[in-house]
Amino acid sequence: MKKIKLIKYLAFSFLLVGMWSCDEIFDDAQPSTQISVSDALETEAGVNGVRSSMYAKILGSFDMTTEYMVGPGALADETFNRPGSTRFNALNNSVSTSGTAHISPFGGAYELIQDANLIINSIPDGVLDDATRDQYRGEALALRAWAYHTLVRALGYEPGNFSNGPTSGFNLGVMLRTDATLDLADAEPVARNTVDEVYAQIRADLASAITLLTASSTGAVTSRNGFATMEFAMAMQARVELYAGEWAAASTAAQAAITASGLTLVSDSAAIGTMFAMANPEALFEIKVNASTEAIAGGNTNSGLAAYTSDQWVAQVPTNYVLDLYDPADNRLQGWYNDCIAQQTSGATANGCATINDEGFSVTKWNGYKGNFVDDIPYFRIAELYLIQAEAAAKSGGIAAGVGPLNTLRAARGLGPVAAGDFANITAFEDEILNERTRELVVEGHRFWDLKRLGRDIPSGVSADLKMRSDSFRILAPFGTTLQNVNPLLVENPEYEVSE
Amino acid sequence: MRSSMLKKLLTMLVCAFSLSAGIYAQGVIRGTVTDTDGETVPGASVLIVELNRGDATDADGDYRIENVPSGTYTVTVTFIGYTTFERTVTVSSNQETVLNATLEFDSIGLDELVVSGYAVTTKRELTGSISSVRASEIQNVSLQNAQSILQGRAAGVTISTTSGNPGSAFQVNIRGNGSVNAASEPLYIVDGVQIELGNTSNLTSTTPLNAINPADIESIEVLKDAAASAIYGSQAAAGVVIITTKRGQRGATQVSANVERGIRNLSRNVDYISSDQYVQYMGEAFAINDGVALTEDISFYTQDYFDFFVSFFDAANAPGYDPDNPTLPNTDWQDFIFDEGVTEKYSLSVSGGNESTTYFLSGGFEDTEGTAFNTDFTRVNLRTNIDHRINSKLSTAVTLNVSRSTQFGVCQDGNFINCPPSQAMFEAPMSFPYLADGSYNPETRFGLNNNPAVVRDEVDRSVEVNQVLADASMTYEITNWLNVRGQVAVDYRNTQDEQYRSAIAAPVQNGWITYVNRNIQNVQSRLVFSGRYTFDRIHNVSGLAGTEYKNVYSETYNTRGDNIAGSFFDVLNATATPVSAGGSNTQYIVSSYFTNLKYNYDEKYFLSFTGRYDGHSRFGADVRWAFFPSVSGAWRISEEDFFPDGLFDDLKLRVGYGITGNSAIGNFNSQNLFGLNGTYLGSSAVTPTQLANNNLTWEEAKELNIGLDYELFEGRVFGSIDLYQKDNDELLFGRPLPSDSGFGSITENIGSIRNEGIEFEVNTTNVSTNSFNWNTRFNVAFTRSEILELPDGVDIRPDDRFTSLQIGKQLGVIQVPRWAGVNPADGRPMWYDADGNISYTPGVADRVEYKDGVADAVGGLGNTFSYKGLSLDAFLQFSVGQWAFPGTDYYFTRTPDFLMNLNTEVLDRWRNPGDITYYPRAIEGGNDYPETDNYRTQLGTQAIYNASYIRLKNVSLSYNLPAEFLDGLGVRSVRLYASAINLVTITSWPWYDPEFARGVNDIYGNQIFASYPTEKQVYGGIDISF
Repeated sequence: MKKIKLIKYLAFSFLLVGMWSCDEIFDDAQPSTQISVSDALETEAGVNGVRSSMYAKILGSFDMTTEYMVGPGALADETFNRPGSTRFNALNNSVSTSGTAHISPFGGAYELIQDANLIINSIPDGVLDDATRDQYRGEALALRAWAYHTLVRALGYEPGNFSNGPTSGFNLGVMLRTDATLDLADAEPVARNTVDEVYAQIRADLASAITLLTASSTGAVTSRNGFATMEFAMAMQARVELYAGEWAAASTAAQAAITASGLTLVSDSAAIGTMFAMANPEALFEIKVNASTEAIAGGNTNSGLAAYTSDQWVAQVPTNYVLDLYDPADNRLQGWYNDCIAQQTSGATANGCATINDEGFSVTKWNGYKGNFVDDIPYFRIAELYLIQAEAAAKSGGIAAGVGPLNTLRAARGLGPVAAGDFANITAFEDEILNERTRELVVEGHRFWDLKRLGRDIPSGVSADLKMRSDSFRILAPFGTTLQNVNPLLVENPEYEVSE
Repeated sequence: MRSSMLKKLLTMLVCAFSLSAGIYAQGVIRGTVTDTDGETVPGASVLIVELNRGDATDADGDYRIENVPSGTYTVTVTFIGYTTFERTVTVSSNQETVLNATLEFDSIGLDELVVSGYAVTTKRELTGSISSVRASEIQNVSLQNAQSILQGRAAGVTISTTSGNPGSAFQVNIRGNGSVNAASEPLYIVDGVQIELGNTSNLTSTTPLNAINPADIESIEVLKDAAASAIYGSQAAAGVVIITTKRGQRGATQVSANVERGIRNLSRNVDYISSDQYVQYMGEAFAINDGVALTEDISFYTQDYFDFFVSFFDAANAPGYDPDNPTLPNTDWQDFIFDEGVTEKYSLSVSGGNESTTYFLSGGFEDTEGTAFNTDFTRVNLRTNIDHRINSKLSTAVTLNVSRSTQFGVCQDGNFINCPPSQAMFEAPMSFPYLADGSYNPETRFGLNNNPAVVRDEVDRSVEVNQVLADASMTYEITNWLNVRGQVAVDYRNTQDEQYRSAIAAPVQNGWITYVNRNIQNVQSRLVFSGRYTFDRIHNVSGLAGTEYKNVYSETYNTRGDNIAGSFFDVLNATATPVSAGGSNTQYIVSSYFTNLKYNYDEKYFLSFTGRYDGHSRFGADVRWAFFPSVSGAWRISEEDFFPDGLFDDLKLRVGYGITGNSAIGNFNSQNLFGLNGTYLGSSAVTPTQLANNNLTWEEAKELNIGLDYELFEGRVFGSIDLYQKDNDELLFGRPLPSDSGFGSITENIGSIRNEGIEFEVNTTNVSTNSFNWNTRFNVAFTRSEILELPDGVDIRPDDRFTSLQIGKQLGVIQVPRWAGVNPADGRPMWYDADGNISYTPGVADRVEYKDGVADAVGGLGNTFSYKGLSLDAFLQFSVGQWAFPGTDYYFTRTPDFLMNLNTEVLDRWRNPGDITYYPRAIEGGNDYPETDNYRTQLGTQAIYNASYIRLKNVSLSYNLPAEFLDGLGVRSVRLYASAINLVTITSWPWYDPEFARGVNDIYGNQIFASYPTEKQVYGGIDISF
């Protein structure tokens, strides 16, 4: 009797056990905010998500937003720390060989490249219709080219400048990764390619992008410029050739991009002041941000462009070097600067701007116009094309050839023309171009790179001392020991600490 | 008393044992077995020694042995937790001989009952390492939750507050840190229900264990070694904490009520300098920078700074400012932010029962104000524990705990400009909260919206937790040596976080409200067979086998609205701009089989085997199921004939080895996944978030434990010594990948850490007379860790000051340059470089290994003195060998770089050539020292402080009113008591509090940033029983 009962209970329990022992019971546990690789790459919705991710990564990355725009000026002489604030003061104080602060877009750029590689190489045929596929691939190629250019200008010398630094003929660029990382084997370390190889890849990508984007480039560029446009790819060709010192090619590409874009420079004084406050009428490509839900890494209050420059911390304010460049009639002076305290809406009162510039101004290009310290971020404006054309045309065809585009820009900003005869030599003209670039492109991410590509010393915005000599090893950013440790093939930039 | 409840558990879990019945008949022995409280004892073993026959008592405590040949016999009655009863009895033919037995509770020591995995056992039978804390040890101590009870009372369990705010969490570390990247909290089990710890509020420090009222706790056991905890398999590597609540007892209804009130203050304050001292400091710095010696008149320089501060802090608008005789405000911000808090607690419990049903009902209410403004904790809880015996074979039990707690979500643990603990350091005395007209001062250090007065009055952060812990079980006695128990349990928790900021506190958004709703649904079921059988009187076999299923579903929803219509609204409906709505969920499932088989020979040699087979949804597809075995044995040396009588009452050697797992590895870490990555232009973005690792598994702990239990001088001294070595292998690490691949790392099982240590526990009865008793309990544990293996054999962050992981070294190593003092000639700070030369700019290469953040020894010492109705208990807890960097204090209150509060240490500064001191000359800002690193940011050994402490953790004095006072009042007992927590702390740590952990999973222990400091608490209360 007892035995029968025992058997009964054992049988009952094994029944329960049997129910529980198959692996299917674990299938209920599925992630809610993640999807499988096949869902992501083999469905239209998934691919749309990967395409959006390229842009979401740009706006979510500190490297590619606030540091991209404000960092190069802070590392040079455009802006300086307001007393009592700390944001980017390491870049401000990165003098000579003290400190190691530099700008490295490494993380942000390669994250973007990863998504671009997926779109370029990993979408099976038939998931998208051909037109959409071409458009997405074109966008991905343009963004990949832009990301590689952003990387290579920080971590390597420009073509032709390989002996600018302490090591003669140092021609290494960055690692080229053109296939997506889908499993562990794809993530193996690779060595740095040469700068020339990187530039070749960038040129090829831009050319392909332009081809692929042609069909979808209908209507005004400003109606399409929330995504990478054909016109942006063309403009990038101009910027890349300018950096490469291919003056004629840069000049030609700039003209082609200006023509293709159909855009004109904003010339109304009030409209200049509000240019950054809305969809930027000069933008060939801009990231359009939802102020309520789309924050950059670290949060807008801490890390937003406006929080750095005109509100909250008001940490990076323009130096006298910048403000002294403007003619009182320059519409940009009225449009893009204001009294620090008057402009501020949040944070501790921004006292002390006057110790950085005589006027006590902050720069208001980034002003949280969309609320919550958020602005749309234009990555290429038509104004830059005129500056590229002016410089490149002058260097390939003489100063007279460069004066035209420069005057076009000056006229739009409320200034009279300059003449070729105003400049004693091409260096004097280059000086003027550099000044005009500062006037026009302040806090848009150019100053340090312009000085670097032209082999200029890096001056200080607040003292007569140099920050870095043009031949200093500090002109290049380091890769850092973290990357060295994980990548035995990596050659560090000259004179930086190398981990054993 | 204490044994009664456990006895019932035993009755349910472990069936009585008996011997086979005889064949032919003559007489009968029968009777009832009761305990000294008069309660019947079911399941006791009755044995006729000469015949080696017997019976087990039934549910009513009755036994009957038939067919006993006439004669004289020795009869013994034994049951776990009681001393053996022995009588000589004569049996005649055809007669019933009645032998009733009264069992006495065994005293303390080795017969103590211990709740181990899925069963109850005696300490004598234990082969693993388990620490226990009983309700009697803590009855006068006003503690917040089960974790605080364990602090200092369980050898080898290191417990630190992660925060001093009422309702906060504790870091509980059982035998060291065994994991770097996976969570390493122990498994908590309340009355058999495994508690889920995840998805708590993120507004402040809190713990799900707040649901249990400490007054309801009967005992807490900590399963420390693998032999004891392997039965919990993949969840046991960080140890297991088993909490058992009080249950009803048969007999008259007992009612007890408790009322308690108390106050709390900061356990210590930090001294900051006044505005005048600040001006003097800055003036000196300015003068030195201007080349003026401090022996000269420097009033020009101090006046300059005075004027600067009047302007910078807008002193002209401060209350009481007189333009003709200008003064600077001198605000004590510490006093503004921290204030005395009041606690009230009430609890009522009713228990009782009859032969078939017993019950314990309790309700409690607590309202505690913290010291920082707005902070509080309230808890209402209701507990129902009912045990019912349906018939002689079948019994059932239902346990229900419903609780609702609220907390102010005080923010902390970082250099946040809007959190009270950091604001106490960030606001200089020259700053002030209100203008002369009573409005908020907009010129505090971080502006109007971060003015501490605004943070206090215009910000609300509330956390509300509703929690249900319930289980129902049924036990069926299959035979008198085997039973089966089925249990279904649910642990449900809803947490609501609400944050409100008025338009003043959030000017950019014109005020906002966020609301986050979190749910945890943790459903479990288990079926356990347990049995116990004795052969030939000396072969005792017992064991259990079972299966278990656990499904934990967790979800979170959040919404936010900006632009609040007016200051009188604080609901989402009143926000004009709906900003965001989000939600996500996650889940894991565990399915398991387990067994524990035990054998002992004559209670002299013990052997135990445990095995658990766990399947887990978190593990990679190729390694879904895991087996965790342990084996252990014990030898009671004192039972051997060769062992001399006298000194030892009992001496037992234990050895155990086992393997446990840590499955806290993230729910989906093994899969190749694309994750949501925000949105762009209205479209959701997805991006690769992790690469697949089909071999991802649990972390594994292999532990060897050798222990000795001893009892001597007739039980006046007893305790244990344990030695262990625990190797945590297969540790999860993000193996770094070149980040140009798009991935920074892949999670793999590739690390190993060893923890080893010694634990020592002793309990003594020093004096025991009729009226006066003095008992002492002491425990200490020494631990050491060593990293054995890391990814690719490469040290992680090898040069990092605080978070390096280096093979061959321990966790929490600190690496800074050595401090060389202040240069007497010019007041500059000096360090040593790697070669031992003075350096003013030491670099990474000059860092030396200096101390670490893991305590070497922790423990507790308790003394109880009782004289008649008066009882005094003093409990000291100590931690030795932890060193740490007080981040916020050091970075912000030691130099005036940010014009924040300045610690009084600056008063000892260098002034004139020849001064020998430890604090350098005054500076205006970090770069004042020529060619010298900033004293604030160039950390050296001077920035690392000893966080060792001895703390009078609890002291309590209680008085039981003599019975004659209570005659005729209908009152059974009245007890008055006073108690205190953290009353005295002895430490060389100069900052807020040396007892801290940055979080429940902080493995380094060597940095602290503006945490809410520990509080000193004093209570008075009264207990009345009817």
